[in-house]
Amino acid sequence: MIKKKQNRVSKGGVNLFGTYTIHFCNIVEEISSDNPPELFNFALPNKQQVKNIIVALCPTEPWALPNWVALGHKTKVFLDKIKEIKTAHFPEAKCFVVINNNETEHIAAAKEYAVTNEWMEVFVIEAKYPHDDPVVLSKAILNTEVNFGQDTLSQGILFLDAQTISAIHKSRVLNKNVDSRFIALSGTGLKENEFANVQLGTSIEKILKNRLKESSHCRVFVNGPLRGKEIKDFTQKIDWTVNNIVVLEALDKKVMFPMINTDRLHFTTNLLGELRTCVYCNFCDDICPVDLEPALYYHCYKRGEKQKARLYNMGKCIECGLCSFVCPSKIELLGIIKECKLPD
Amino acid sequence: MKKLLNKFEPPLNKNLDRIESFIHSHGKVKFLFGAIFEAFDGLLRSSKHTAQTQPFIRNNIDTKKFMGAVLIALVIGWVLPAMYFYGLQCVISRLIVSFVVGVFVVDVIWAIIAREDHISEGGFVSCMLVPAILPPQAPLWLVGLGAAMAILFRNIMGGVGHNLVNPALFSRLFLTICFPALLAAGYQAPFTGMPDLHTLRYGLDTVTHATPWTEFKTEGTITSYLSLLLGTATGSLGETCRLALILSGIWLVKMRVANWRLPVSYFGSVFVFSGIFSLLSKNTVAPPLFHLLSGGLVLGAFFMITDPITATYNQKAKWIYGIGCGFITVLLRNYTTLSEGAMYAILLMNLLAVPIQSLMVKIRYRT
Repeated sequence: MIKKKQNRVSKGGVNLFGTYTIHFCNIVEEISSDNPPELFNFALPNKQQVKNIIVALCPTEPWALPNWVALGHKTKVFLDKIKEIKTAHFPEAKCFVVINNNETEHIAAAKEYAVTNEWMEVFVIEAKYPHDDPVVLSKAILNTEVNFGQDTLSQGILFLDAQTISAIHKSRVLNKNVDSRFIALSGTGLKENEFANVQLGTSIEKILKNRLKESSHCRVFVNGPLRGKEIKDFTQKIDWTVNNIVVLEALDKKVMFPMINTDRLHFTTNLLGELRTCVYCNFCDDICPVDLEPALYYHCYKRGEKQKARLYNMGKCIECGLCSFVCPSKIELLGIIKECKLPD
Repeated sequence: MKKLLNKFEPPLNKNLDRIESFIHSHGKVKFLFGAIFEAFDGLLRSSKHTAQTQPFIRNNIDTKKFMGAVLIALVIGWVLPAMYFYGLQCVISRLIVSFVVGVFVVDVIWAIIAREDHISEGGFVSCMLVPAILPPQAPLWLVGLGAAMAILFRNIMGGVGHNLVNPALFSRLFLTICFPALLAAGYQAPFTGMPDLHTLRYGLDTVTHATPWTEFKTEGTITSYLSLLLGTATGSLGETCRLALILSGIWLVKMRVANWRLPVSYFGSVFVFSGIFSLLSKNTVAPPLFHLLSGGLVLGAFFMITDPITATYNQKAKWIYGIGCGFITVLLRNYTTLSEGAMYAILLMNLLAVPIQSLMVKIRYRT
């Protein structure tokens, strides 16, 4: 079955590709580990446990690894890999391939493939952050409510990305070792935005060596500045969960004429404004992908009523951070939500 | 432009840094001038704070840009048309008095006395609205008093973000109660009587005309819609040129500074309710189109009720809020002796917004 209509996943979300255009160098560099590399080890779940497989080929963050690096331009070869894994391990499961609407080449190839393969469905989404989130996708595709932080396998849904599929295929079907993965390196703190094929177990220090701009104070984030973690300890090693490394200029100093010099402030960790009180501008609930009203949490938190904040559907929050991102008063809404979620 | 400014950057930056470190190292100086320097510095330089928790990048919209968009819309919406219709001196003098008294005197003194860390940008918007809702011939001291009352009232309530009702409208209400004669008169026909020194002090009462609403109430005549739209009819300084107000209002809605639900529900409900009432009693109730184009309704719909602080936060409650505003406006305009009801309607709904908001939250989350 082919879904012709454009699927509107949910309201809210934001297209980050327009705001943060990142041009990557096309050459993929190989980075090897000093120690013997770690091997890819993916514990495949039980046959009975998996009813649906969702293959997310839809990076919605501009700094995430794009599909063509992992797939090449061989969509059909990739889909054959899914087929082989499915027939070998999950013969009963239904498979959904989610693709961004701007990747017409992949969509056309996948739709053609789906005509002859009944078990597969193509799902096209708008490239809006965070519509590739497991919670949002399982609601949109299967109409299943998954809570944030809950294992999707308990609902019978297995989430896989392009690289994991290739790695599972290589290790389980072809019985070869997988010891490296592609990583996107980008940000204002780097000399160049590029892709690297990194052996697992390589330290971040080694990856960033000779790539950082020397002049400025930089901060390093793994898996993006929106949802990822800040890395202070550069000896940390790369494992399979690392999709990208973003290095941003900290810019912890004042910049003259910010209205004109927007390029200097763009894509840095600067707050781009001053902390003010909430003006009820509705930016946060307009952008919220799961239809919450984050300003309510702020007001409850300010009055010290964390218990009350939890009543306003707080469990639904997927911690995408868009409310903090968009707030003109620069309130740390995500921080407040996380604090309110903690038990007293 | 950028190249020219780049030349001034390093010395200016260095001097500002020096002033900043001087202020912060001297307690008494900081007590007196800290907030003023912060406000001035905030206009020239960006903040130095960085994001410490997730997400680590932030959007490039802050309250300064938010208020700046409203100011631009107000300049296009009423300042430029009013300069054309009532003369340069009339508008400029009122704006200067309003800004100086409101922002540079009252707000600054308040920041020093109340030990605020910063002076809010919102004061500019309030002070820009005060002359717009006063008659064109209102004496300058009235404008100054209005601006002072608006800022003082807003600060007493807790500053931007805590004001229960629109400060500009509150000050207008205060002036209406204290000086009813000055606010009932002073409506000058456009293109007549450029002000001189005498009129700036005492007001110009020789050219006073009736506003479209008093004309309708006393004689039953309806001013032509074209003159109402273009601004050649009488009215408050900022409300006459509805065409410019509508255009700039639509721009504000497009920039998402003003929420589209509020003007749509306000205009829609005024149109519907006045339509129903004029069908029921033909002679006493004005036709819907006259309701929409007369008085301060357009200014109110795009700049007053869209003030996010005094409106409800919940999006569905915004419809109730706008419809309530429209209903009360139609009632006050037709069944009372008041010559204009938009101001009272908006002030009343500002207060009612609080229970509407909590009711909608209770319904939505069933708490």
